[in-house]
Amino acid sequence: MTHVIVGGGVAGTTAAEFIRKQNSDADIILISEEEHALYSRVLLPHYLRGDIERGRIFLKRPSWYEEQNIEWITGETVVALDTQNKHLELGSGREISFDTLLLATGAHPTLVSEDVRGVSYLRNLDDADHLKTLINELPKNARAGIFGGGFIACEYLNIFASYNIPITMAFRGPYMWSHTLCEQAGEIINEHLRKQGVELITQTPLKKILGEKHVEGFEINQGAHACSLLGIGIGVKPDLSWINKSGIKTNDGIVCDQFLQTSVPNIFASGDVCEFFDERFGTHVKMGNWMNAMSQGRTAANNMLGEQKAFDLVSSYAINILGLDVIFIGCVNRSKADQFSLFGSKEMGGVTEIFVKNNQIIGAILVNRNEDRPILTKLISQKAEPFLFDSLKQ
Amino acid sequence: MKIRVKVDEDLCIGAASCVTIAPETFQLNDDNKAFVYDHGTQPEGPTYERWLEVTDDEYENILLGAQSCPTLAVFIFDEFGKQLFPEL
Repeated sequence: MTHVIVGGGVAGTTAAEFIRKQNSDADIILISEEEHALYSRVLLPHYLRGDIERGRIFLKRPSWYEEQNIEWITGETVVALDTQNKHLELGSGREISFDTLLLATGAHPTLVSEDVRGVSYLRNLDDADHLKTLINELPKNARAGIFGGGFIACEYLNIFASYNIPITMAFRGPYMWSHTLCEQAGEIINEHLRKQGVELITQTPLKKILGEKHVEGFEINQGAHACSLLGIGIGVKPDLSWINKSGIKTNDGIVCDQFLQTSVPNIFASGDVCEFFDERFGTHVKMGNWMNAMSQGRTAANNMLGEQKAFDLVSSYAINILGLDVIFIGCVNRSKADQFSLFGSKEMGGVTEIFVKNNQIIGAILVNRNEDRPILTKLISQKAEPFLFDSLKQ
Repeated sequence: MKIRVKVDEDLCIGAASCVTIAPETFQLNDDNKAFVYDHGTQPEGPTYERWLEVTDDEYENILLGAQSCPTLAVFIFDEFGKQLFPEL
């Protein structure tokens, strides 16, 4: 049997590792766009802040792949997939046949149209190395800009603040994660950012990046703002181009069943690209976090080896924004819920919002209310009704 | 076997993957960081580091929890102080 995995991130590498653990004879081919051995994207901010050495972000040594008898193809992308004849074509022209295939191609950052030196994205290790160079080159009294209001924007905030670089931040919505958070939660974060000295400008598009050879500022509705470094965090999207052409069903990601199998038998997906049917929530969801990617890699490995194991995890994502904790648990897509309950208030300094579907708690967002996390994770996992959390909080 | 399990609170970001895999050993505290538990209990109070007497299966699961940590914040040592994870 030949198992081919496209994507060398945590989902793909975990799958390769688990297939090998269970089957010493199988041929395993892992195709990675990046040249690096597996590293932790989550540790990139720690590396950038200088909390850890660069070498500590790696989770596998380059020799690990050979030791595991995994054919590791680096610096390569897939350009075409023939689901009928079960083979892939790489950018180099090489064709690879498979018996089972895992698509773990992740997501790519949305880019802005202008690109001058000093504009930064933060998705992979090369981006992080580039940002480190830019920070080291900054003149004294330089100002940094951030455009965007999601997770990557938070990382930029923490990184720039650790170097005591003054920050101007702007985004489209009235507050961060404006499609996901309620107004009170958003306002708590806005107030916190301003208290921390961030110059915050909301409800504006990015109109223009200023500077010809090096970034000198950015223009928004409220005028031009000077900066020597501009971090862009306006979201990520999977690249579905060759997957769409193959006929595999896609939506926001690759549409999979509860076993992480795509619309084509023996082809699976995992990680940020995977839009899977979550039996607990009774709907398709796409999760972009480490815990989800790693766990899906394991489940996909089992199912590629012939099991029928449904993916089952209440995943979560926690981030600390300049000292304020924000935690997302389970399904926090507002369009999937039919009822919302709010606990706490802006005046109390923290809120927890519960997402409910068919009288079942499916997700929660906690702003400065870490103490609610264990019980809510448990209630979501148990498909509990919202009154159970209400009664605990009375 | 006897092991020492330690969570580096500066590295821990509350991703909670260790809690999902090995809840008997790891639970989040109000700072959103993982305390180390001894088979679900906290003899001598909450702590980021403690000695544990575990079976081979329990050790494998704690190791899986440590390996799942995206910031490699969980350290495991044997009874002689040798670091078992992360591998040096």
